[in-house]
Amino acid sequence: MALSRRVAYIDLSTGKIETKPIPVEIRKKFLGGRGLDAYLLYNHCPPGVDAFSPENPLIVSAGLLVGTLASATSRTHTMAKSPLTGLLGSCNMGGFFSPELRWAGFDHLVIKGKADKPVYIWIHNGEIEIRDAKNLWGKSVTDAQWAVREELGDPDVKCLVCGPAGEKLVRYANVMTGVKNAGGRTGMGAVMGSKNLKLIAVRGTMDIKIAYPKEALEFNKRFIEQITTAKVNQTMGILGTPFIWGATNSWGGVRVNNFQYNQLLFADDVEPERFHEISNETFGKYHMAGCFACQVHCRARYRIPDGPYKGCYDEGPEYTTQGAFASEVGCTSALTVLTGNYLCNQYGVDWLELGSLISWAMELYEKGILTIKDTGGIDLRFGNDEAVIEMIKHVCERDTWLGDVLAEGGLRAAEIIGKDSEQYLIHVKGMQNLHSDERATPALALNIATASRGSDHLRSRPAIDLYHLPEPVLRKIYSSPIPYDGPLSSDFREYAGKPWQVFWQEQCFMAVDCLGICKYHTTFLGATLPNFEDWPKVIYYNTGLEFTPQELWTIAERCNNMERLFNIREGLTPDDPHKGDILVDRYFNEPAKRGAPDVIGARIDREKFLKMRAEFYRYHGWDEKTGAPTEETLKRLGIDNEPSHLL
Amino acid sequence: MFKDKSTAETLKSTRTYGQFRCPNPTCLDRLVPKPGEKTVKCPKCGTEWRVVWLKPDLPRIRGPVWETNIEIARKKLEEVEKKGG
Repeated sequence: MALSRRVAYIDLSTGKIETKPIPVEIRKKFLGGRGLDAYLLYNHCPPGVDAFSPENPLIVSAGLLVGTLASATSRTHTMAKSPLTGLLGSCNMGGFFSPELRWAGFDHLVIKGKADKPVYIWIHNGEIEIRDAKNLWGKSVTDAQWAVREELGDPDVKCLVCGPAGEKLVRYANVMTGVKNAGGRTGMGAVMGSKNLKLIAVRGTMDIKIAYPKEALEFNKRFIEQITTAKVNQTMGILGTPFIWGATNSWGGVRVNNFQYNQLLFADDVEPERFHEISNETFGKYHMAGCFACQVHCRARYRIPDGPYKGCYDEGPEYTTQGAFASEVGCTSALTVLTGNYLCNQYGVDWLELGSLISWAMELYEKGILTIKDTGGIDLRFGNDEAVIEMIKHVCERDTWLGDVLAEGGLRAAEIIGKDSEQYLIHVKGMQNLHSDERATPALALNIATASRGSDHLRSRPAIDLYHLPEPVLRKIYSSPIPYDGPLSSDFREYAGKPWQVFWQEQCFMAVDCLGICKYHTTFLGATLPNFEDWPKVIYYNTGLEFTPQELWTIAERCNNMERLFNIREGLTPDDPHKGDILVDRYFNEPAKRGAPDVIGARIDREKFLKMRAEFYRYHGWDEKTGAPTEETLKRLGIDNEPSHLL
Repeated sequence: MFKDKSTAETLKSTRTYGQFRCPNPTCLDRLVPKPGEKTVKCPKCGTEWRVVWLKPDLPRIRGPVWETNIEIARKKLEEVEKKGG
């Protein structure tokens, strides 16, 4: 059955391996994937532990529907305490790893301890082994995967791997699978590195029994139709995610030169159509690929067209890569974006964090806070393409003073650099903001301020807020499955109604992360994509579990509150500039200077923002002063006895 | 046991083809470029946009017509700064 997969506890210090079934009662409370990971983390991570301590558990999982007959169920989730923020560490990626994990018999891996030498974990049809990784250590993301496939004599082995950046404990190193599928943000690759764990290799041929296979397949046709007819997915299947950056830059919603501007001017060479051309020229017409069971195919393939890495194969770029290595650093060269993308994928590092930190360092250099001596002779001015590429390498190798400092993440780096450098840092909870500029969009500003893993767009961003959808359409979306009769506005500059949209989106994203479905297959970028009313059918036909849309909503709420409990335990308070649900002062003080006419002059109104946040807390049932879930909330959600240590 | 059509499915009827909205927040009206047209101007705010056609009925804004929109933005910024914004 789809519910028969087990959780494995792997201790790298002792070599002890134990597996357990996952009780249906736990499934019904947390589903799987990110939600159940949150339960496991809260139960297995000792309070206040250092993120690089062997006691910090690294949890890897597949969502409940992964590997079934449901579409777009490719997602792998990874969770631990973050070495970047000291709060929740969590990342999610597509590819082919998690279906293979389920076919090998497991849904969740809880990895504790630290190996005394580099190791990898080999999982195959119910068996788990810890093996020597001496020959893999130091290898790039793709080289390590090919090496282990050769060692195991099976080209179909799928891997979750940390690259050289993770080995060197760059605090925002990714876990990766395939070429470019990245579990980015919050440094889960560094946690792998700290455990001397290079890689997890899986191969499985165990069937997943589907509860109602005929109905599951039949319903999936409807699901596919819903997904493939959406205009946003048709666009994504041609241009990939770069179309998002292009659309946002058009009206002035991207961060340029750190935070000085909000639109990259004359950006034609880094617009999505340009990357499409390069993929066509270097890979051919059929250059779009997909993850497991996906019909959208948003992953472009290309070879670097010029420069020192000419001819190297890579996949992407993503909209966040355009942000990292074009707009944030003031560069307008496709080659810089593609080369930066390639290097980050090979080192296994989060380009959102890295691009943002390089742009911060550039502003510090511009202001004289960093000198050419500090940069190791690099002319770190905005728009210097070569400097960007050099800095990527220096951070991942940690081979210069500035590279080593930036590898520690923004807040630690600001402490080392001093001289008011922190006031130029664009972050929430110690995690750098992605490339977007939320000064004109209060809903998105609230989203990044309150997201559970730091400044982030994949936890609660109501992106359709940018589409000027008519109020009746918004009401249909946001009044289901829970009634809502408060205000809603088609204008993305408004404050009223936005807390509910963010709250709604937070439950929506948690639900897909529990199920293992890609966010491009739900109400994220398209209003007509599946959500709470659609998922019960998919779950029932594939697993036999019955839920109403409202019950799924409650599960999502419960899982979000587990994450909240973890963050509160690790020190989150609402107004803490380092660990709170608050934006940096620049959002409130510096107006936007570029973009569409109605965006110019925009900045976030502090008072209105705080009112939005209070309203958002009320929807959650969180105390407005402490930000913590109230006793009543915990009881309502059945998590008032956590940690319960049931699993 | 399930509703015939979900809310998201019913919203499919609201999809529009051959048009998009002006990205300026107050211009809620849709812009309808003629098939194959490479630029389109918003009659309300004067901004001008480069258009690409992903399919014959699926136009997309590639980006601003830079010279036009930068000039509009410059004037607006002057206004805002005069008001002390």
